[in-house]
Amino acid sequence: MQEKSKAQSIPVEISEQDVVEAMKSIQGYLDITPGDFREVYQAAYALAVKRLLTSLRAADLMTKPVLSVDQVMDLVEAAGLLAEKGISGAPVVDHGGKIVGVVSEKDFLKEMGFGATPSFMQIATHCLNSKGCMIGNLRNRTVGDIMTGPPITGLPEMTIGEISTLFLDRQINRLPIISEDGHPIGIVTRTDLAHSYSIFGEGARS
Amino acid sequence: MIFLHKMKGSGQSPPRVSLIEVSWSWIGSFLGIAAVSLIHYKLLDQTGLMMILGSFGASAVLIYGAIRSPLAQPRNLLGGHILSALVGVTAFQWLGGQPWLAAAVAVSTAIAVMHLTRTLHPPGGATALIAVIGGESVHSLGYLYVVMPAALGACVMLVIALLVNNIPKNRKYPEFWF
Repeated sequence: MQEKSKAQSIPVEISEQDVVEAMKSIQGYLDITPGDFREVYQAAYALAVKRLLTSLRAADLMTKPVLSVDQVMDLVEAAGLLAEKGISGAPVVDHGGKIVGVVSEKDFLKEMGFGATPSFMQIATHCLNSKGCMIGNLRNRTVGDIMTGPPITGLPEMTIGEISTLFLDRQINRLPIISEDGHPIGIVTRTDLAHSYSIFGEGARS
Repeated sequence: MIFLHKMKGSGQSPPRVSLIEVSWSWIGSFLGIAAVSLIHYKLLDQTGLMMILGSFGASAVLIYGAIRSPLAQPRNLLGGHILSALVGVTAFQWLGGQPWLAAAVAVSTAIAVMHLTRTLHPPGGATALIAVIGGESVHSLGYLYVVMPAALGACVMLVIALLVNNIPKNRKYPEFWF
């Protein structure tokens, strides 16, 4: 999985033949060998990628304010809150408002006995066959009981490149962004990342 | 081994230009050299003055035949010829007793000066060399050689380049001035 994602991010290599074809399409004698041009292109491309990967920071990408849930909140209540807001996960905080973990759909599913990544059909089958749909497992429990912690967090000055790498390496889907004193101030999700990369695409086209 | 391997060359030649490009290169260089040689032969013939230099043939290759090249831009054309002429005349006047040394110093120093001033223009090397090996007609000009033929000749060629190279829709000259 991880291997595949990395392979996809390798930039398109241009060949000397591509350069020759491009040079043919441009009127006039270009005073550079195709090999030298390719070298210049690759070096410039690497710089452009580096610039893009450092130009956007967590503070620019993150959704804010972020909805945090208290670690002592009842699980059913927390599920209702997430459902109402239409989000799939949130940072968990202690009574002082400092982050202590992250809770997501995955934690709920795990707690209900489905494993971390069940398909909808597995859940549906379970629910059809077992009365109560295993929701009983959630009763009288708190967010703190099922959350994933200690959490992986980021600071506002983290770059988009660092965030992407972290998502890939740690196999996470959301990254709470915290202030120096540990309070969640925003969250970067995979969707936020996808949006920001599409902005790069627009820029390249215009 | 690497030393010898490098001599094999691993790149390839840029593609051939279109026939239209060839035609405009021909027209431009014909008119450019015609302009300087007309002045030279028709106006200055009996005066002992000069307007044409062998190195202008080389400049013509660049400013009419490879007009996008950084080496072909006005800064390089004018700067290259003027600075190299200056270096060449100085080399002859200081070291003229040893022509081989004056010639070598003229060309090598001209290249260094052009590099340092970002005015590299290959024909400049020839302009510096001609100042030494050009014979009595060149030597008698002294530093006038810098102004004429070097600077003025290059200016005439530049004017023709500006006029001719900007006629075709997809040709433009220069890329930059200075």
